Amino acid sequence: MSFSPYTQNGGTILAIAGKDFCVVAGDTRQSEGFSIQSRYETKVWRLNEKATIAANGFAADCKQLVKRVKWRLETYKHAHNREMPLKSIARMVQTMLYGKRFFPFYSYVIIGGIDDDGTGAVYGFDPVGSYERETCRAAGAAQSLLQPFLDNQIYFRNQQPADPTNPPIPGTLPLDNVLAIVTDSFTGATERHIEVGDALEMYVVTNSNCDLGALQQITQSATKTDLEQVAREEAEFNGPKSCKTFKLLRQLKKD
Amino acid sequence: MSIMEYNGGSVVAMRGKKCVAIAGDLRLGNRNMSLAANFEKVFPITQKLYVGLPGLATDVLTLRDTFRFRTNMYKLKEGREIEPNTFAHLVSSTLYERRWSPYFVEPVVAGLDPNNSEPFIAATDLIGCLNFAKDFVVSGTASDKMFGMAESLWEPDLEAEDLFETVSQTLLNGVDRDALSGWGAVVHLITPEKIITRSLKSRMD
Amino acid sequence: MCFLTRSEYDRGVSTFSPEGRLYQVEYAIEAIKLGSTAVGVATPHGVVLGVEKRSQSPLLLSTSIEKILTIDSHIGCAMSGLTADARTMVDHARVVGQNHRFSYDEPLLVESCSQSVCDLALRFGEGVDEQDDDEQMMSRPFGVSLLLAGIDERGPQLYHTDPSGTFMRYDAKAIGSGSEAAQSELLDKYHKNLSLEDAQVLVLGVLKQVMEERLDEHNVQLAQVTQEESFRILPINQLQNAISRLPNQQPTQEPQQ
Repeated sequence: MSFSPYTQNGGTILAIAGKDFCVVAGDTRQSEGFSIQSRYETKVWRLNEKATIAANGFAADCKQLVKRVKWRLETYKHAHNREMPLKSIARMVQTMLYGKRFFPFYSYVIIGGIDDDGTGAVYGFDPVGSYERETCRAAGAAQSLLQPFLDNQIYFRNQQPADPTNPPIPGTLPLDNVLAIVTDSFTGATERHIEVGDALEMYVVTNSNCDLGALQQITQSATKTDLEQVAREEAEFNGPKSCKTFKLLRQLKKD
Repeated sequence: MSIMEYNGGSVVAMRGKKCVAIAGDLRLGNRNMSLAANFEKVFPITQKLYVGLPGLATDVLTLRDTFRFRTNMYKLKEGREIEPNTFAHLVSSTLYERRWSPYFVEPVVAGLDPNNSEPFIAATDLIGCLNFAKDFVVSGTASDKMFGMAESLWEPDLEAEDLFETVSQTLLNGVDRDALSGWGAVVHLITPEKIITRSLKSRMD
Repeated sequence: MCFLTRSEYDRGVSTFSPEGRLYQVEYAIEAIKLGSTAVGVATPHGVVLGVEKRSQSPLLLSTSIEKILTIDSHIGCAMSGLTADARTMVDHARVVGQNHRFSYDEPLLVESCSQSVCDLALRFGEGVDEQDDDEQMMSRPFGVSLLLAGIDERGPQLYHTDPSGTFMRYDAKAIGSGSEAAQSELLDKYHKNLSLEDAQVLVLGVLKQVMEERLDEHNVQLAQVTQEESFRILPINQLQNAISRLPNQQPTQEPQQ
């Protein structure tokens, strides 16, 4: 048996941008073939007050990539006396991925956050660094299940506007709506894909204008464990800065 | 590339409240090259029963004729129309006959029970393993995409027009993300009173 | 042994004297004081750079003297000292600027640009024992001082770099042979709310005071960086226009007595 440098570890990630927020989500199942290695291994990481990254594919490569990104962010902060802006993180990740063009990181990366002018932004990548700014993106094992649904619900594909003079604009849905779409996406993928399930982590990156009503409602209606989780992360992330990041945890089916 | 993807095409069927819907795309291709945008792959069996046959086009046509022959023979012998459940088993046994050199088609059956208008849907794999679903079935090259759509859009006891919308959105958004399906679609909505057949325009790329 | 003479310690570029001095660096700083005068003034609207183009010969075409260079679309610099050394530094800064755009999809900050130039300035004496990829050694400190003018999200900025690799931010700064007189003039005339036009006149006025020749559009050069137009060297007609706004300035066309 010869050594194979890559494994597929399943799972799925997803990000949706709003006007003044961005949701970056991923399930927490990590599998190898038909066996589940972990029911709680995170695929989404907070980078700074304005950026969150999700990486999916070969878990070891994803972790290594995120470690390198965090190291570069720290170096940049020391060199330039400020946090790296979102679009710069995106460009940097492209150069890092392309730098390994001939022995790639087997990682499908999505970066979500708040851009320079305060609006929500999503950047989607392929494993060798081709990237694009988008309103939403799904990646990973259940990408084919989720992306058509997002096309329909976020980009309003194949829908006729109720008022043709005032058609809905992608990327302007309110937070409660987007959170519902994210949750539905993952419960759907959990039903039909064996590599998706166990739990769902949703990072909500907000700017100072963001209406947090939807989050407060979830906090109030959540079960005790959910509530504790939300409160703890909120305290952890809440600096004196304008952009707050919240982490929501939802349970998914474990079969 | 599997032979199941040689010509492309997708079908979906859903159960509603006293109604069923079955829809299929219109593409016929040769691997990545599209050849026709009028290749229907959903066929009527009786007044209230349809079969969708996505897969290898030659087998689609052969099976369509085989099923027409066998259901006609059934009608002559039994003196009545075949019921959806019976037809599903006919599909299954027809495919299993060719267990070791199968037709490369994964049929979808949708219809109303002629006695009590109970909605019925079923799907099989290419050798006839039946799947009687209570909600929806998908088949073809966009099946994974349509699973994602249907799993989020479908809900129990949809009325006929709502079911039409649900099945249409499932098919359209599913095939739009599939290079081998699309190029228009046909939806058949089967209710106790009538059958409504609608052609859908979709993106042609 | 005699430590009183400099001669033992002013040879090695990276050797401290017992008094803790690096003579070669100090000499390099001295060398700048022989260079042509360059002046920079920062305003809330932008930064103005001005240089004197000293012509050694009437046969020399003054248009070929380049003492203001563009580093990036939003950063430029004026120099005093060894022009050739400045080109090395500007080349370096240009590469750093383009690399930054490539890696981060954003313009380089003016402060970071100054830092990178100074990083290079500090590399003298390097490459002797190090297994550096480039064998080449920088035998001496750069004999040039730069005034970097740029604009970024932090607003218009003016930085001064010297051969020791130090950089500092100024509201107004003069370098070169006339720098002492020019700096005191700037100290006197500068205020925080100068308009860009006033800054042009101030820069020209200061240059005029310290120049031996009579100032005209051939022996000075102006450049400015603004949010609207980024960094640009003023074309001759705009330079003439600025000169004409100098108080008591006779039209340059008038034949000299």
